[in-house]
Amino acid sequence: MADLAPVTAPTPLVRIRDLRLEASTQRGTAHILRGVSLDIGRGRILGVVGESGSGKSSLASCLLRLLPGNITRLDGSIAFDGTELLGLDEAAMATWRGARIAMIFQDPMTALNPLFTVATHLVDVLKRRHPGIGRADALARAREALVSVGIADPDLRLAAYPHQLSGGMRQRVMIAMALLVQPDLLLADEPTTALDATVEAQIVDLLEGLRRKFSGSIVFISHHLGLVAQLCDDLCVMYGGTVVETGPVAEVLARPRHPYTRALLECEIEDDVQGGRLKSIPGEVQDPVAPHVACVFAPRCAHASDRCRGEVPLPVEVGDGHRVACLRLGEIG
Amino acid sequence: MSTAGPPQGAQHRSAQREGTPVSTVSVAAPLVSLQGVSVVFGGQVRALDDVTLEIDRGDIVGLVGESGSGKTTLCRVLVGLTPPTSGSVSVGGETVARQLASQPLAFRRRVQMLLQDAVASLSPRMTIGRTLREPIAIHSLPRAQAEQRLAAILQRLGLPADVTAKYPHQISGGQARRVGVARALVMQPELIVADEPTAGLDVSVQGELLNLLLDLQQEFSLTYLLVSHNLNVIRRVTRRTAVMYLGQIVEQAPTQALFERPAHPYSAALLSTNPAIDPAKRARRIVLQGEIPSVVNPPPGCRFHTRCPVAQARCKTDAPALAEAGEGRLVRCHFPYSLSLQR
Repeated sequence: MADLAPVTAPTPLVRIRDLRLEASTQRGTAHILRGVSLDIGRGRILGVVGESGSGKSSLASCLLRLLPGNITRLDGSIAFDGTELLGLDEAAMATWRGARIAMIFQDPMTALNPLFTVATHLVDVLKRRHPGIGRADALARAREALVSVGIADPDLRLAAYPHQLSGGMRQRVMIAMALLVQPDLLLADEPTTALDATVEAQIVDLLEGLRRKFSGSIVFISHHLGLVAQLCDDLCVMYGGTVVETGPVAEVLARPRHPYTRALLECEIEDDVQGGRLKSIPGEVQDPVAPHVACVFAPRCAHASDRCRGEVPLPVEVGDGHRVACLRLGEIG
Repeated sequence: MSTAGPPQGAQHRSAQREGTPVSTVSVAAPLVSLQGVSVVFGGQVRALDDVTLEIDRGDIVGLVGESGSGKTTLCRVLVGLTPPTSGSVSVGGETVARQLASQPLAFRRRVQMLLQDAVASLSPRMTIGRTLREPIAIHSLPRAQAEQRLAAILQRLGLPADVTAKYPHQISGGQARRVGVARALVMQPELIVADEPTAGLDVSVQGELLNLLLDLQQEFSLTYLLVSHNLNVIRRVTRRTAVMYLGQIVEQAPTQALFERPAHPYSAALLSTNPAIDPAKRARRIVLQGEIPSVVNPPPGCRFHTRCPVAQARCKTDAPALAEAGEGRLVRCHFPYSLSLQR
């Protein structure tokens, strides 16, 4: 997949800078994103990994600007192909959703409307993208989209309601909807987590195949490092509402620099050795209510110094597109 | 996997057995024995079909398979919650049905279950202490002795003594999991059935729980049946693994031998889907076509033939039996080893 990387680095499709998201909760202000800076390359698949509560889904919500009502702060910058998304008013933002930005959710059953057939779902997205399209034309394209995601009897499935489909088939319908939109940016939030292993393999296979037909960029959110390693071009590791490390996936996984990325990789057990102690990261994820005055990983980091407990690290470029936010980077190698 | 290597599974297993705390009971008799167990719901849902499985005392057996393959039903049969429609289930040499009829409480102490959602398994209206003491009262265990044991277990699991005064919403998810373990251990069980104990856990904390379960197995001479979707966990902690498909065990083998060289085409496909971080460990993905059929109307012949990439004419009509395939392995396939993992 490295051969798809452009020779000269063009401007990224999306440039996120110092994105901050806060919400008011009963216990005080929750810092959900604590200054996220990240690029999403054109035509590339960016894998976002992190533990629960690391802010990966919130990042997707910010890109769509679909946020709950208790948000008290959203600032920084999301420059999407030259347009500042955070500067758009609600009406303008609405024209972006389902057109230039689309999303595939984790649970296709709740994302599809149980009252409408598959055909209605697909025709609706087409009409939104191409307002003048005729019904017959739309249906023909919907049928074509189902075939392209590997649904064998498209006419039967067009007439079906979501509950009549299996989980794998529902997720295929979601992917077909996203394809019809042909968005510049597709957000996929744990799209295979709810599926069984052999069905997950079918969907991963499909997503790999789609790379050739789809010219846009994909943000693939997952807690599964192995899956990200296999499917993505770039990797972004999140922890406690910050990006601790980002870069080309093979580079980051072969030469992780941030202590959190290293610790996370050590917890993975894919060796053939049976028995022996398993690794874990001691301590608990930082409380989102805690103020952001230090490295968020410092309380669990084996290398933390006094400086780490009193200063917020900024991302530093350590290689081609490989950035790490660690104050002790030079010392720990 | 191009180099399959010598079949060293059986050897490996006996080597491991030496290190395990072997009970004074005859080593030959397995702790758990399921013979031809079927469970049919409502006359047509064959949740389990002719399942035969033995678990040796002190062993850790893994159970893998997709939703609807019968893993949970098998667990329920083992703990006595679902009676088998046919076949026999025995724990410690006596059938579960007989034990439930003559001394139900003693049987329930013998077999304990760890539930997938630890937080949800605790009543929100009861303090942790009340939850943990409830079984002591139900089983009329000697109070002073049980209290002592409970205190020792809480300490062993690293739970603060004041956790007993708290309600489930006041403790962390990690503590809730350990409370679930404590609740099982208070009964001094012989067998623990753990249904997806690491599901929903971040990889950064799953190691801690698995280490704890492995330590406890040694300290308390426990036997585990471990159900998991996580093939890495199964490979790392279990000694034998049973693979289920549509209510049947299609293969059971020493774990290492299974992962090195799966004999059943379904096992091969399942193992090939496990994404690896290290490109060198990545198997070529075997993508099965179609959906998992329903157990209400399972395919004739071999149940896997509708999705099997190497099925032959015989598979469509002739149902294979679970047969010996060397290295302490049982396989339900007419043509074992015909689909292999490729790196």
